[in-house]
Amino acid sequence: MSTMAVESQSSPPRVNNERLLSLAVLWHIVLALGGLVGAVFAWISGESLPIVVRISLTTGLVLLGILSATAVVMIRRRDHRGRVISLFINYLGFVFCVVALMQLLGIFTGLDAFGDTFGRGVVFLATAFIGYLIGAFGDRYNYAAQQRYKRIGRIIIILSAIGFLIAVGIFQGMWAVLSSYDSPMPFALSLGAIIFGCILWVMWRQASAEIFKATNAQKEALEGYLFLSPNLLGFIVFFAGPLLLSLYVSFTNSDAFNTPEFVGLDNYATILDLDFAALSSPNQLASEVLDTTVYDELTRFTILGQSYVVGAQDKLFWTALGNTLLFVLMAVPLSVIPALLLANLLNTKLRGMKVFRAVYFLPSVAAVVGIALVWQWLFNSTIGYINYGITLLTDFLTTNTPLTVDDPQIQWLSQSDTALLAVVLMSSWQWIGFNTVLFLAGLQSIPKVLYEAATVDGAGAWAQFRKITLPLLAPTTFFVMITAVIQAMQVFEQVFILIPGQNPAGPNNSTLTMVLYLYQKGFQRFEQGYASAIAWVLFFLIFGATLVQFRRQRSAGTAYDA
Amino acid sequence: MKHSKFWLLFVLLFGLMLTLAACGSSDEEEPATDETTTETDSADGSEAMDEEPAAAESEATEEVTLRWRTRPDNQAEIDVYSSISDDLSASLEGITLEYEAGGSETSSYQDVLKTELAAGTAPDVFWIPGTDVADFATRGLILDMREMADATAGYADGDFYEGPMFHLTFNPETGNTGETLWGLPRDVSAFALYLNLDLLAESGADDPRELAANGEWDWDAFMEVAAAIDALGDDISGYGQSGWWGPYGYWINAAGGNFFNEDRTACGLDTPEALAGLEFQKSIYDAGLAIPYGEDPEPPFLAGQVGMFQNGRWATPGARASADFNWDVVKLPDGPTGPSNWLFWGAYVVNADTEHPEAAWELVQALTTAETQGKIAELGANIPSRVSQEALDAFLTFTPPANNQAFLDGLGENPVAEGPLWAGNWPEYSAIMDPAVSAVLNGDTSVDDFGATICDEANKAFTQ
Repeated sequence: MSTMAVESQSSPPRVNNERLLSLAVLWHIVLALGGLVGAVFAWISGESLPIVVRISLTTGLVLLGILSATAVVMIRRRDHRGRVISLFINYLGFVFCVVALMQLLGIFTGLDAFGDTFGRGVVFLATAFIGYLIGAFGDRYNYAAQQRYKRIGRIIIILSAIGFLIAVGIFQGMWAVLSSYDSPMPFALSLGAIIFGCILWVMWRQASAEIFKATNAQKEALEGYLFLSPNLLGFIVFFAGPLLLSLYVSFTNSDAFNTPEFVGLDNYATILDLDFAALSSPNQLASEVLDTTVYDELTRFTILGQSYVVGAQDKLFWTALGNTLLFVLMAVPLSVIPALLLANLLNTKLRGMKVFRAVYFLPSVAAVVGIALVWQWLFNSTIGYINYGITLLTDFLTTNTPLTVDDPQIQWLSQSDTALLAVVLMSSWQWIGFNTVLFLAGLQSIPKVLYEAATVDGAGAWAQFRKITLPLLAPTTFFVMITAVIQAMQVFEQVFILIPGQNPAGPNNSTLTMVLYLYQKGFQRFEQGYASAIAWVLFFLIFGATLVQFRRQRSAGTAYDA
Repeated sequence: MKHSKFWLLFVLLFGLMLTLAACGSSDEEEPATDETTTETDSADGSEAMDEEPAAAESEATEEVTLRWRTRPDNQAEIDVYSSISDDLSASLEGITLEYEAGGSETSSYQDVLKTELAAGTAPDVFWIPGTDVADFATRGLILDMREMADATAGYADGDFYEGPMFHLTFNPETGNTGETLWGLPRDVSAFALYLNLDLLAESGADDPRELAANGEWDWDAFMEVAAAIDALGDDISGYGQSGWWGPYGYWINAAGGNFFNEDRTACGLDTPEALAGLEFQKSIYDAGLAIPYGEDPEPPFLAGQVGMFQNGRWATPGARASADFNWDVVKLPDGPTGPSNWLFWGAYVVNADTEHPEAAWELVQALTTAETQGKIAELGANIPSRVSQEALDAFLTFTPPANNQAFLDGLGENPVAEGPLWAGNWPEYSAIMDPAVSAVLNGDTSVDDFGATICDEANKAFTQ
């Protein structure tokens, strides 16, 4: 009896749901046909488009057609996979239409310009806050008075909000939106957003889930992906997309302005092309043994009495690579080892220790630009404080000891043998604080009982550090090393700001790093294709270095995920 | 619960309304963009020219908004340019101007501009240094205004310095000058030596201004003065120059050399004259008379520790503001082949994608009138780019320095005009030349080794 009652009650909605699903099927038939026809049209008429755009557009439309056709078949079979595909297509379609519409209506640029008009409404925002305070003030009194205060507060907030909107230009905004509907495109996108949104709602409803016999696990998975989607879409659009685009650009001669031509692996070949030649004497000119219309002398060396010269088609790339590796070799130990020692010092419960921790962390949160400008002054060879300090020290030693110490007057930023060192010193100083905090966190996770037991066993501080701290800190050390190496291989801002003059590559290119070089190629010399190729070479170098570190860590049995 | 729904609805509605209001903000920003419809998608500007009549007709009746940008060196210049923009906005019929100050301590003016050009968001009119003109023109980023200029009554190329106009009217397709018009020079400048008169007096050296007046101010005299000042103490230097191509280029040019060969189609850095200039410059550093090459000499000069500081007119505002000693300027010493200097310049150019080429051309002319240039020159950083006695007479009154004539001498005595490489890639050339020269001046390599290899490398900039 009760079952029949339930069935009779649920029958009309069921019929409605079936009709709604039929509409969804019809919509996907339209999408399938539209996608496939659109793909053919895009491929035929898209000859003027860059090949990557043409292929992407056609592939996207083919995928839309195939997925929609699949959805049609599966929805008709009431297969849950059809529902998932439909949700996927309609969600993406809805987001695309809304975002495109917002772009078309100038909302994104409008939000940017909103800063200029926002100030006009600040008074009303302040009034709204007063309304809130009035509402909150009512909590002191009895229920009836409370309600009166809250009503007054609410009215003030609503009126203030209306006033705010008028002040910042709601009417102009509405007029601007209406005025933008002067071509078919805004109407088409609005219609698209409505249809995609409606079908999305139809497929998402609980009633549809029941028709497709969705399990709880499937519902949870869909909800999970829904929550994940903003981040996932952001990742695809703003990270993975540009990443893949840069890979494509690296196979072209793109200058960012004109239509790029596909050049295959030419950029990579130019970057990596080296030539070796034997010299008849160590001082023989490279132009006598190398084709200097193609290669520049990179370096020369002597093995078993025979001298050789190495030529590179892109000498600056190899110079940048050498400088970057040298920077990594110096900056990583200088920012990790002192950080480890500092963390041990700061891992004590002395009064005021938190202040010290904050002080040491400050350089990590300070803007690189500001730091670099300060260090630029410090490093100045004639009026900088570092050389001034050295002068005072040498004077002191010469005056007060039997030693005679010459003032070196180091030209920190203008000599090729010290410029990179100056960058290393500044960068290490800046990174130490962050590494210290990581080590500190690692140290605090080591059980104190181990140290107590070691003390009882008679182990001294050094033994405890070596036998307890270092081994148990290995996962943290590994993480710090990985991040420090990656950070060091990507060094850019420090060099870009610190080195004075028009060329941050420094004296004799001694501070030319990989990222600086790709920046110069891409954004100063209009060679975006070549710069992208350099970026990918750098990526593989960093990937390789990280992989080696992981392997070494695993073989040592102290893997980070252990 | 009921209240929660109310507030949820309220917040959603408010958010939606706010978004709508944002559309109004955007609309207010660029009213002209919607009002005029001229599209110029061409890269080389030719299509833009074809559509000028329509644009002109449209612009004659409707208000257009132009964004323009230049690179100011300080807030005072930003204020002057803003004021000029407001004045011109009021005086140019049918044109509203929006001035944007470009560049900062941390963002290179050119890098930002190029990125905006690539993104299609660059201003309608903007300033670029003379060395960039070829790169921008051959890539189709700036508009050829020759047809509009020819149709403009009262306009003549000859009103401006010849050196900049040679490049600004160069046609890369035919190799002839006078056939195009890529822009008009904003200003010109030349090097001078900023003198610390207190150090000079203390050293007892001859006054370079008097030597120059007597025609005795040459490289030997320069070395004597530098040595006398340098001898005042360990923390005092006789001379200082910045680490870029301009300062060292003077020594090469003054010795009879040049960066390039005669028709600027190949490297000229390995000629005996160029190497002699570099050798002499190296001797200044080898003798320890100068602030080490690559170190910024301006702070020590302003701190009173440098006797002679080689820089352009743009260093004048800094000296006026910060030099706490008596100072003046003198022209650069005559080299073995006579006087020499650079003629630095930059130009206002028009974005090839501007929707309002006629209005942009009008703005470029307005920005380069004698009156506008006079206002900017008064600040001290610029010299008018118009060859006008009136403008130059006015420039001489903008003191200190008392000896403004030194800059005009620099412009008048055999200057080499800063210029782009129409047959090569200047940024690439500069990127090869700068480190190689710094290696010589810092003692990392010899002049002979430099001469033996530099052109093998630098000539690659002409094959790109």
